[in-house]
Amino acid sequence: MTALVQLLISGVLLGGIYALAAFGLALIFGVCNILNLAHGEFLMLGALVCFLLGQSLGIDPFVSILVLLPLFFVLGMLFERGLIRSVVEKTGHEQLTASVLVTLGLSLCIEDVARVLWGTEEKGFYYSLPPIILGQGTIVISSVRLLALGCIVGITLVVHQFLVRTYLGKALRAVTQNRRGALLVGINTAHIGLLTCGIGTMLAAVAGVFYMLLYSVNPSIGLPLTLRYLCIIVLGGLGSLFGALLGGIILGLTEVFTGYLLNPHWQETVAFLMLVVFLLVRPQGLFGRVQI
Amino acid sequence: MPTTTPAPPRWPGWTLLLAVILVLVGLPWITSGYAGRIIINTCRNLVLALSFDIVGGYTGYINLGHAAFFGIGAYAFGICVRAGMPVLLAGGAAILLTALFAALISYPFFRLRGPYFALATFGLLKLCEELALTLSGLTGGSGGLSVVWPENLTLSYFLNLSLAVCTFLTVWLVTRSRFGLGLVSIREDEPVARAFGVSVVWYKCAALVVSALPAAALGPVYLSDRLYINPGEMFGLETALMPITMAILGGSGLLIGPVVGVAFLSLVQEVLWTQLGVLRLASLGLVLALVGLFMPGGLVRLPPVYTRLCRWGLVQEG
Repeated sequence: MTALVQLLISGVLLGGIYALAAFGLALIFGVCNILNLAHGEFLMLGALVCFLLGQSLGIDPFVSILVLLPLFFVLGMLFERGLIRSVVEKTGHEQLTASVLVTLGLSLCIEDVARVLWGTEEKGFYYSLPPIILGQGTIVISSVRLLALGCIVGITLVVHQFLVRTYLGKALRAVTQNRRGALLVGINTAHIGLLTCGIGTMLAAVAGVFYMLLYSVNPSIGLPLTLRYLCIIVLGGLGSLFGALLGGIILGLTEVFTGYLLNPHWQETVAFLMLVVFLLVRPQGLFGRVQI
Repeated sequence: MPTTTPAPPRWPGWTLLLAVILVLVGLPWITSGYAGRIIINTCRNLVLALSFDIVGGYTGYINLGHAAFFGIGAYAFGICVRAGMPVLLAGGAAILLTALFAALISYPFFRLRGPYFALATFGLLKLCEELALTLSGLTGGSGGLSVVWPENLTLSYFLNLSLAVCTFLTVWLVTRSRFGLGLVSIREDEPVARAFGVSVVWYKCAALVVSALPAAALGPVYLSDRLYINPGEMFGLETALMPITMAILGGSGLLIGPVVGVAFLSLVQEVLWTQLGVLRLASLGLVLALVGLFMPGGLVRLPPVYTRLCRWGLVQEG
């Protein structure tokens, strides 16, 4: 029973972390029509920055989120301005080739530079708060995990409200639906592109902080994480925040249970197998409108 | 995509071609092993780059996991040989197994389009690496897998060389055929191709199998030359991405493109890259990004190069 509850909590939390970053990826894809293969690297960078802040300045990880948000927002905008925009302007097969090459190249650069600067070893720190004990000690819930989960839920709600309520959010969704149409009704698609990449990168970096809290980080986690986001997007359908959340939680739970029941080694491959199975059975995703 | 007028195949000179062939054939007897090694490496990249291009260049699906076929071929061969099979039979079994694998994954994977396909095939590579590490009873895990027999540089030189030539001829045949035309039509506009009666699903699956075959054949050739393989090497990023970078840098979707790319990058690698201790992967990434940003058409589609190649008759429509 205890194990089950613990697994459920860590699975949901892992799924939430995945979903946060995966949603950023889906947003960028929706607006710019480019699959950002470097997205996982931003999670890794976020985690690394959080680690470095904690290590050198003693900043609490939950506080470091406040530093990361503007930092990675600007980084994401620079990324859009410098690389993504010139790829968006290409057309057809050329755009596909360019998008894969540019984002993959960036991903390799970030990974290798991070490896050289900070070394290949696993980085993590021990962070704990007094746990919550329920039912005469049969169920112990780590309050760090609960807090992280709360933060993820909070951020998801804020992003949702932003997309639904504000003018900018509506403009962003309009570009996702039809880029040319949005341009025709007077939406500055270039600004929206900047904004989207900023938000997407920011979400990935924040997810990195939570990742850091639960696991350890090394420079090579980026691309495997991007693969998980792909799985989540395929599962949940593109562009839907709740689809991403649900897909993330399904993946998180599956990974955690596979690790527990079979072998932690297989955790790595679960996302991939799920992806293949889903493609065979239901390629349009769980909520099934968007063709991928 | 620049359109070309089909130029008659006039070579820069048959004598030159003959001289190159003579040098290549005679090389093991006139130089030390080092030149042979360089040619072997070049041939390996050429096989991978050319066969990648069947799916990546002509069909328009970027298969980042192409090297997985190479790795699977090598591992299957190693496992068969260690199980006591005769070498030729093991080689055949390895190729057959890899082709089967390619056929199996092709249907679900081609349900993805564009960048999703690229990422999913990349995941395939990771999956293979993970499997090779986990199934250590079969593959030797992270310790790798080795076969034992005497080294024969001349034999492996000719094996690599002939495999490269065969791959070139295969891709050439594909580009000349109705099949190749169908693939190009899929790249240009898949719905239109389907509407015009190209059986898109079959064409794509067949393309993946055909492109898997040379890579699969390279596996046994590689293992019999190196005598040792491990997961990090076979399914690693550099093995996977180097041939793809070469193909696209040269100009994918044209027969001569990967050849130019392989020649160019091999030269760069030989002169500069090997001097680089760290940041090899980063510099590879930088090359990828720069090619993507500034010349997604590749070297051969740069106007001065393109006109010259046309004049020499080295470019055909594709």
